[in-house]
Amino acid sequence: MLLAAERRTERHRLAQAAICAGLVAAASVLLLGLSGWFVTAAAIAASTGTVAAQAFNYMLPSAGIRLLAITRTGARYGERLAGHAAAFGALARLRPALYRAIAAAPPAVALAFGRGEATSRLIGDVDAIELRFVRLSGPWGATAALTCGAALTVLGGVAAAGATLACAGGALWIGHLLANRLEQPGRAVQHATGALREEVAMLCSATAELRCYALEDWAAARIMTASDVLADAQRQQAAVAGWFDLLHATAIGLAAALVLALSASAGAPVAALATLAAAMTIDGIAPVLRGLAERGRLHEAETRLEAVFAAKPDRIPASIPFDRFAPLVIDGCQLLPTARLVLTGVSGSGKTTLVEGLLGLRALAPGRASIGGVDIGDVSPAMLRSVFAWAPQDAALLAGTVRDNLRIADPAATDDRLWQALADAALEAVVGALPHGLDTWLGDDGARLSGGERRRLSLARAYLADAPWLLLDEAGEGLDAATEARVARLLDARLTRAGQGLILVSHRPALAGLCTLRLAVGLAAQAGVDIDTTAHLPTCAAGPARPKGRGPS
Amino acid sequence: MTTIPYDRAMAKARTRWLNDAAGRHDAAAGLLLLDTVAAIGFAGAVAGGISAIVGDTTILPWVLLAASMGMVRGTLAMTAARRGADRAVRAKRTVRRHVIVAGFARRPGDAVDAGVLAAQVVDAVEALDGYIARFLPARRAATVAPLVVLAIIACGSWVAALILAGTLIPFIAAMALAGGAAAEESRRQFVALTRLSGRFADRIRTLPVVLAFRAKDRETAAIGAAAAELASRTLRVLRVAFLSSAALEFFAALSVALVAVYCGFSVLGLLPFAAPETLTLAQAFFVLALAPEFYAPMRRLAATYHDRQAAETAADVLMTLPAPIRAAAAPNPAVQAGAPLELCDVTIRYPDCDRPAVSRLWLRVEAGETVALLGPSGSGKTSILHLLLGLAPLSGGSMTADGHPIMSLAGMASWAGQHPLLIAGTVRDNLLLANPQAQPSAVQKAVAAVGLDVMLKARAGGLDTILDARGSGLSGGERRRIALARALLKPAPFLLLDEPTAHLDTTGEAAMIAAISRAACGRTTLIATHSPALAAIATRVIRLGGIT
Repeated sequence: MLLAAERRTERHRLAQAAICAGLVAAASVLLLGLSGWFVTAAAIAASTGTVAAQAFNYMLPSAGIRLLAITRTGARYGERLAGHAAAFGALARLRPALYRAIAAAPPAVALAFGRGEATSRLIGDVDAIELRFVRLSGPWGATAALTCGAALTVLGGVAAAGATLACAGGALWIGHLLANRLEQPGRAVQHATGALREEVAMLCSATAELRCYALEDWAAARIMTASDVLADAQRQQAAVAGWFDLLHATAIGLAAALVLALSASAGAPVAALATLAAAMTIDGIAPVLRGLAERGRLHEAETRLEAVFAAKPDRIPASIPFDRFAPLVIDGCQLLPTARLVLTGVSGSGKTTLVEGLLGLRALAPGRASIGGVDIGDVSPAMLRSVFAWAPQDAALLAGTVRDNLRIADPAATDDRLWQALADAALEAVVGALPHGLDTWLGDDGARLSGGERRRLSLARAYLADAPWLLLDEAGEGLDAATEARVARLLDARLTRAGQGLILVSHRPALAGLCTLRLAVGLAAQAGVDIDTTAHLPTCAAGPARPKGRGPS
Repeated sequence: MTTIPYDRAMAKARTRWLNDAAGRHDAAAGLLLLDTVAAIGFAGAVAGGISAIVGDTTILPWVLLAASMGMVRGTLAMTAARRGADRAVRAKRTVRRHVIVAGFARRPGDAVDAGVLAAQVVDAVEALDGYIARFLPARRAATVAPLVVLAIIACGSWVAALILAGTLIPFIAAMALAGGAAAEESRRQFVALTRLSGRFADRIRTLPVVLAFRAKDRETAAIGAAAAELASRTLRVLRVAFLSSAALEFFAALSVALVAVYCGFSVLGLLPFAAPETLTLAQAFFVLALAPEFYAPMRRLAATYHDRQAAETAADVLMTLPAPIRAAAAPNPAVQAGAPLELCDVTIRYPDCDRPAVSRLWLRVEAGETVALLGPSGSGKTSILHLLLGLAPLSGGSMTADGHPIMSLAGMASWAGQHPLLIAGTVRDNLLLANPQAQPSAVQKAVAAVGLDVMLKARAGGLDTILDARGSGLSGGERRRIALARALLKPAPFLLLDEPTAHLDTTGEAAMIAAISRAACGRTTLIATHSPALAAIATRVIRLGGIT
């Protein structure tokens, strides 16, 4: 649907490409047909005598031949330019539209696109659409070739024209059948590529273990096995694709031979015209045949992208008005603004799930959290996200500069404000030492920074967002005790200054020490050994399996 | 978008690398050459048929020849395509193996990110496909086939051959003018397009952050602006780049037109100069029918320009990969199990890093000791463990065991870290990776030592519980226990542990620490950690300084 809309938007350029493609094909057919007729008729005129030769009108055909040669060149240039302009134009709108659609999809659907294989498939699909737009002029060229071919070969007799069209039709029909046969190997190639990618990613992230256990050759062999599966699928694909080459050349030979035989009675000049025109007619449908070979792949890409656009948020919560500074209730624990809460629980107990639920990145069971008396399931995600400033567990950074990463939280922030946030995250010196300061390119996922530095940049980013609550997931991980203590001290000052509340997931004592309440998440409350660094804190509310009366709440 | 500089030497090296990667030539180019021969046969058949009509002789043989030549051409093209694909598959296999081996047996310190390596092994290698399967055979054929056509046409009409050769000179000039600069420019544009894709992919990966900071609309607009800006810039480049293909098209069409006009006027005797040759209809027609074949191989070559760009972009990445170093994995002069390990004045400095990760470290570890490396993040704890395995560069100082310099402890050490290797298979398969010969009793002992038996009892399959490659259903603690049990299965005197308790809560950490202290028994153990609780079980704690 959206692609159809893009085709409408680009209809002027596409029409231009189609007209040019038609001109190219028609000029090719006419050029060779006319040349053949001209040479043959001239030779016959010459052989009948000087008078006939003198009377032969050579001006028109020879001028026509030159005109056709120039037309074909210009039209081909126009076709390629207009086709690519349409494709780039469409893609420049499609990319942001696709991004918007993914971002608006239900979180479970949207976030699934972030996994390696899904992302690379999406990129491949977008590229396929570009190819599809460039190829849209193909059928118009083929139509022009068939029309011109029919018009020229019919001079050699209806049978000759019929034979030309039959050869073209046959080639297209067989091409259609071959395209069906290509679908299975095409899918196999895609599947094998995904499997190879996963195998490589898994083994490459375990270099130390491979080195210790001398498993490097074993790992290489495993990857090569996955690679060989892909190679087999590609060979199969190439074997089927090869039939298209056979089909194309055979159809040209057959059409020329049939037309030569069928138009012989119309005389040599017309037979020459018809034969060469027939050959060029079949040549003119080559772009369509090439397109058929890719049909399955492009079709699947288009279907997948359409599905992305079709995915609608499953439930758009009614915008119940609420005060974003109102008290927050999580698992029955009431938090007044500026409260400081630490979430505890063994790994896997669902602390991060809860945090992501608060941000509307995944669904939370109704009743688990509410703000100002409104269940967060009934709040639109955009409103919800204005309540929390988040530092995620994986400290994900954008591929971009320090500034790009900070500005995402506050696009209007001045440099002073950015430096202040960096200072509060104990990262000012590190960024100050980078070659271009705030404008230093950090690479994919902050590759230039160490683990602890990435985490502090993620923290600085959260500081910049305007929200009543800071939501920090494992903010102290990867920091040494001294840095952690400094970060905690600065955070304390910042919270007091800004009047922000804090919801913290951390096993680290220094940061947890800022909190005045704790909440056990999930099965945590059942864990027997209680040597928790937060054990001295008052427990907030009753967890599901916690005996009552231990917390003040 | 940063500019991508053009470097002639680089371009040359790139071409050489690509040709080496493609390996031995095979029949694909020869088949394309034979295709040209069949095209000559086809032109001859049509010319013969037209002459036969004029001479009123039977045309059937010519009709059959034309049809069969078409089929021969098709068969040759199909075989060439399949051979090309086969060659590409073989070449990609070799390059891929090289990339993997270089990745695993890399020079110490050439840090390789798993994602980057995966992109190299999969995408960059696949980008070579079209270059080897289509571009190279087409280029070889394009250097010979036009000459063959020219020679055959010269037999029919040497003037026509001269005309065709004449169009070649301005064609080459036009290609040199439009081709060189524009080809480089469009290659840069291709790289820029690839980066745009990369940015799109990155913003999808970081979608949770974009959503949480309500930056969805801003990022969408930024993606749109970048795409629109690049599209208009690319079109400006293509306007010039397509000129080279237009030149090809123009001379292909012009050559046919000139030959047709010459042949027509020649047989009419109307040439404005003294006729240098007398053409029969058959000769004239043959020359005309063959004329399009003169430029056909070059047009086929031009159709593969995208394959070439993709491969050149990939080659820039692949050709700079370091040669694999196997020495690191090779056994050292036998290190005695009871040998003390000594790091004297050791400095570790990664290439492209301003400051060393570890600077002038002195460390002596006696056999059987448990040493905890405690220090701020970035102080080089993991680097020291990697140095011991030959994965980090020894930039200064020496590493000795019992007084003998060593490169690596790889054969003598076990490893357990934050993100253990898990393969699809049973728990037992995963454990046996460290030592395939381990006895079942040894497996049981290792499992019990790290406290994995509790977890296995809770699962129906026990040791035969099937895991998938992601280790779905395992907690962080369980994964690390598997790694630790695996480490115990290898009878190695050294045990290296990299942040074995990170991301565990206090309860999980306490249980893991107990398992580690049992595992460390009887081994020389080095632990990189932030955790004071874990460091407490060490016989010695080394505090590493650092800038934070």
